[in-house]
Amino acid sequence: MRLLIIEDENELAHDILLYLRKEKYVCDVAGNSLIALSKIETQDYDCILLDINLPDGSGLKILEDLKTNRKNDGVIIISANNSINDRINGLKLGADDYLVKPFHLSELSARVEAIIRRKMHNGNNTMLWNDIFINTVSFEVRFAGKVAELTTKEYEILLYLMANPGKVITRTALINHLWTEDLGAGENFDFIYTHIKNLRKKIQQTVGKDYIKSVYGIGYKLSDK
Amino acid sequence: MKLQTHYNKINIIGTIIIFCFATIGYYFLLSYVLTDQLDETLIVEEAEIYDYIKKNNSLPEASIYDDQQIYFEKNNGPHFRIFKSAEVFHPLEKATEETRQLIFTVTVKGQQYIAHIIKTAEWTEGLVWIILFSTLSLLLLLTTAFFFINRLLMKKLWYPFHQTLSSIKQFNLSAPGIFTTPATSVTEFRELNESINLMAEKVTQDYQTLKSFTDNASHELQTPLAVIHSKLDILIQQPELQQESMELIQRIFTAVEKLSGLCKSLLLLTKIEQLHFSGKETVSIKKIVADKIADMQEWIRLSKLTIEQKGVDTIILSDKELVDILVSNLLRNAIQHTPEKGTIIIETGNDYLKISNTGLIHLDTNKIFNRFYKDGYSGGHGLGLSIIKQICDQYKFHCHYIFLEGHHHFTILFH
Repeated sequence: MRLLIIEDENELAHDILLYLRKEKYVCDVAGNSLIALSKIETQDYDCILLDINLPDGSGLKILEDLKTNRKNDGVIIISANNSINDRINGLKLGADDYLVKPFHLSELSARVEAIIRRKMHNGNNTMLWNDIFINTVSFEVRFAGKVAELTTKEYEILLYLMANPGKVITRTALINHLWTEDLGAGENFDFIYTHIKNLRKKIQQTVGKDYIKSVYGIGYKLSDK
Repeated sequence: MKLQTHYNKINIIGTIIIFCFATIGYYFLLSYVLTDQLDETLIVEEAEIYDYIKKNNSLPEASIYDDQQIYFEKNNGPHFRIFKSAEVFHPLEKATEETRQLIFTVTVKGQQYIAHIIKTAEWTEGLVWIILFSTLSLLLLLTTAFFFINRLLMKKLWYPFHQTLSSIKQFNLSAPGIFTTPATSVTEFRELNESINLMAEKVTQDYQTLKSFTDNASHELQTPLAVIHSKLDILIQQPELQQESMELIQRIFTAVEKLSGLCKSLLLLTKIEQLHFSGKETVSIKKIVADKIADMQEWIRLSKLTIEQKGVDTIILSDKELVDILVSNLLRNAIQHTPEKGTIIIETGNDYLKISNTGLIHLDTNKIFNRFYKDGYSGGHGLGLSIIKQICDQYKFHCHYIFLEGHHHFTILFH
């Protein structure tokens, strides 16, 4: 699967590339709209990560260009601008998602995963990792073939972890993902703890393995090792 | 006091004083001139008497007319010659009258006499008064005329100034249209207008710079923060990291997120200042409150808080995102500052929203809405309440804080 990262901040583009490349993605990077447009012209991408503020113009122009050429590439806007109006404008122009800087790479990865899943599998939205199976349309979850009953939060945590298999995910990233409202919780991680504990227990009971590893001091990791 | 009144006051007082002195001076001058004239006629009479004595070697006859008397009396004193003014009884008129006299000594045939030449000064006196009166009336007339002319003139002359003044009054920094002062041919006013235009331009520019500085600074900070953030995300994937390092990284994450939150709040403040939220929708306050409570349910549960929502709904016409931010900040503030197992009561009613929560101490009413105000144990960045205040100021709501019976009460009036 091919991604295009349109971002003028080299360091950020590099980190995104590094993080996503380890997943199953092939990534291209464009530092300005000129390069971006020429790349889009010659290559179809499954998903485009688009920064709005580019040195040679607004990223929204690229978005308009994509839509007039009826390209089916998924687009995630990554912007430093956190206002609902900008968000609505971006989505109106045909972007699939909008992510505000700074963001967790795990969050970006989860969103890229979701878009590609939606675009690629045409309704057959399923995820499989080891013994864990999720159908994201019917919200059906199976552990080792057995249907599991999960709460909404547990389901969302599992989905997030499966979009970032083998990656260390911070508790803050998980909290930010699960609760849209900025709770200003600071270092109070009790929020997530109970949900993780219950999810872990449910998986362990059916599969017999503890897939959700605690990474001390920082967060969790989905791993079969 | 108006400039016009000042001017008139000084003008009138000045004129009266000058008039008084001028009148006195004029009176003396006139009487001096007229007396001098009278004295000359007395000298002519004197010369005639000398002529007569020379020709006839005897004194002329004493005479009494309406306006002149001449008589002589014998004398043995030294020689003298004086002019004097005196009131004298006139035998023909049978009344005393103001006179001018020349009294001198003459010697005829060895006998010395005192000659009196008395001329009536009644008409001179009258003349002085007539001249004085007519001159004064003329001056008074002129002054009155000047007063009215000045008034008209001042009004006309100061017209450009008043226009400039009214355009300064209309000058609004936060909604700057094009600031114009009227054109005028008066150099002073033109200079004034030029200076004011320059000043207004500078003020507007500085204000814009300041505003865009906060905007740009917060904006520009997000990119390096995003880089730090992503580097940390990459860093924690390293397999050889120890728990201690992980804990350090977690603290860096927390700090970065705090900083990013601060930038977002500053950006939000600028947006509110720039009246960015201009939507006009019917917004149900009760529904927004219920939504926000649902969003924060987990947090409320963890802090073991009791939330009570009461009162009737109030529907207002405003920007939904803005009201959302307002309610969300109020509620977050309440949750953050309510001690464990405390109570939060949210009351809505006719055009108001009141959030009360258990509190320990009275907060400084003058300071709580200030930017970066913290009560000591608050973990936030101290912008939440100033965002609320800014929203209320810019969108004509009213917010009010009071500490009563162990509860903080924040009330928002939507009108």
